[in-house]
Amino acid sequence: MIRWKRAWIIAKKDLSEFKKQKLVIGSIIAMPLVLGVALPLIMFIPIATMAGPMDMVWDVEGLIEIDKCQTKDCFEEPKTNQTLENIYFNKTTVQNMYLKNVSLQDCVIMFCIIENSIITDSTIQNCSIYYSQIENTILLFSEGKQLDGKNIIAVNSSLTFTKTKESETAKLIPIILNYVLVLFVIIPATLPTIIASYSIVGEKNNRSLEPILATPTTDGEILAGKILSSFVPSMGSTLIAFVSGAVLIDIAFFYLLGYIPLPTLNWILVITLLAPTASLMSILALVLVSSKVTDVRAAQQIGGFVIMPVIILMLGVVSGFIFLSPFTIILFSIFYSCIDLGLFYFAKSIFNREDILTKWA
Amino acid sequence: MITTEGLSKHFGKIKAIDDFTIEIPDGKIFGLLGPNGAGKTTTMRILACLINPTSGRAFIDEYEIGKEKDNQNIRAMIGLLPEVPGLYETLSAYKNLDYYAQLHDVPKAKREENIKNLLTSLDLWERRNDPIGEFSKGMKQKIAIARALVHEPKYLFLDEPTAALDPEASKMIRNYILELKSKGRTILINTHNLAEAERICDTVAVVKNRLIKVGNPKELAHKLFARTISITLDYIPDSLIKDISVLDYISNIRTDGNKLFLNIKAPEENNPKIISWLTKRGLNVQFVSEEEYSLEDVYLKLIEEAE
Repeated sequence: MIRWKRAWIIAKKDLSEFKKQKLVIGSIIAMPLVLGVALPLIMFIPIATMAGPMDMVWDVEGLIEIDKCQTKDCFEEPKTNQTLENIYFNKTTVQNMYLKNVSLQDCVIMFCIIENSIITDSTIQNCSIYYSQIENTILLFSEGKQLDGKNIIAVNSSLTFTKTKESETAKLIPIILNYVLVLFVIIPATLPTIIASYSIVGEKNNRSLEPILATPTTDGEILAGKILSSFVPSMGSTLIAFVSGAVLIDIAFFYLLGYIPLPTLNWILVITLLAPTASLMSILALVLVSSKVTDVRAAQQIGGFVIMPVIILMLGVVSGFIFLSPFTIILFSIFYSCIDLGLFYFAKSIFNREDILTKWA
Repeated sequence: MITTEGLSKHFGKIKAIDDFTIEIPDGKIFGLLGPNGAGKTTTMRILACLINPTSGRAFIDEYEIGKEKDNQNIRAMIGLLPEVPGLYETLSAYKNLDYYAQLHDVPKAKREENIKNLLTSLDLWERRNDPIGEFSKGMKQKIAIARALVHEPKYLFLDEPTAALDPEASKMIRNYILELKSKGRTILINTHNLAEAERICDTVAVVKNRLIKVGNPKELAHKLFARTISITLDYIPDSLIKDISVLDYISNIRTDGNKLFLNIKAPEENNPKIISWLTKRGLNVQFVSEEEYSLEDVYLKLIEEAE
């Protein structure tokens, strides 16, 4: 029976020591910053640049350049019998407009104000309308169907909004999010290779395990303390990176598409299941490595191999062989948990006083 | 009380300690003496419940070593100073001690009191917040001893407590050990320092992978060596050795200048007789003293015999 209070005393001591270790502190800060914040941003820059040509497809023939019409003169005569397709309206004010027999199809309308206008005998189909206002606009004999809209104040209008299709960018989002998501499995699996090696090999080199073993602390409590001291900073750091990364991605997507994509079920499952099991796997493997090596650097180098199951996952996702769905995440979590369980029993069997004192040196 | 009965520990084919039986009464200092690899540290580790014996039994008070539940109780009663201090160099002296006190479940107020008392008595209270890495070897050893005492253990196990310390620091540690004994602690010491063991140990055990001899240092000397007295005379006549050899209670007669050396049985009883015998022959006895054998003499003789 593990007394967790005692295990926490051991972990707390290790955490106090980490504060004085520049490499450990540096890694805890830098790795999440690079992998959890900088890298996702770098990944989203090309997406942001790709978004223009993909969504802003102008149908040049028969085009009505609505966003350039800011004066009444633009709409002195009704624009009739026009078809607007694949047009991207952004931050456009349309006033005193008279549209007749106009068909709006596959358009994205964002941050637009349409007021004091008449849209008559027109069809609005498969359009996405975000954060726009349609006010005092008379929709006469117009059909508004299969529209995707958000936060729209529709006055005297009969539009119904249903999400019907995804843009090309929207189709890319889950793939990109998966790329980013796998980073939050890499971080908690990699950080222990630095932290745990200091926690156990450092203690072994310092010959400070013997006095601990002479206290009424059980082998299991010492092992639990050592696991906690690596798990807490690894997962804590990952969580901070996760929240920061999610917020940045939300901001980027909101600007691009007008909605916040996170958190999704995938992300919640990764941070609550996959990341902790991957972190534990790495820590437990490091405990085993630490029993055989006497040098922190050697432990760190061998530690690179212990995260192989996580690297396999990452390669699978990046190559497109594995798609992170809730099912695959749970499947990998179960797989990692089984490895964790095996490693824990193995670690427990070698983490005993006699072996530590007589075989670990 | 600490007792062992036929205690053995084998590492594969190597017998670290074999058939080891001792008894350490409460409030005494017991020294384990022996060359490197003699099994002293192994014995101490068994008694500290760090490793299990291969065979035999050992008890501390009513608890038997090797039974997991008893081991927990024993560990709570002992304080261990290992051969290497094993302190946390980046942490302060106070934090080092506080950590171990917490692992021994010492309540916060008591922890603060104990740490203050220990650091004050070891002249380190002013340095309590300094990292251990900045301490000298002697100061680290003091902190390691304080760590072994922070939970007020009944039994104290010290492995080479003055090894690699300068004479001043060694003396300070020795005096502190004697002070602890006066407070009723039972202390087991592993040491190579025979002069130190002779000064502070009530009982010593000479070991070389088995128990060779156990006893009070003086008693061991008396058992191993015949008691020799030296008598300083004003002069020594040529015939004296021949004349004196007729006395049945003396043997091994030799002279050195005007000093006469004799091995004598029961000196308390026979010393007056021999002095009277010499006086009757017109010899003036200037000094009479007993030749002392050091623990080192005892140790070397025992180890030699064991080999």
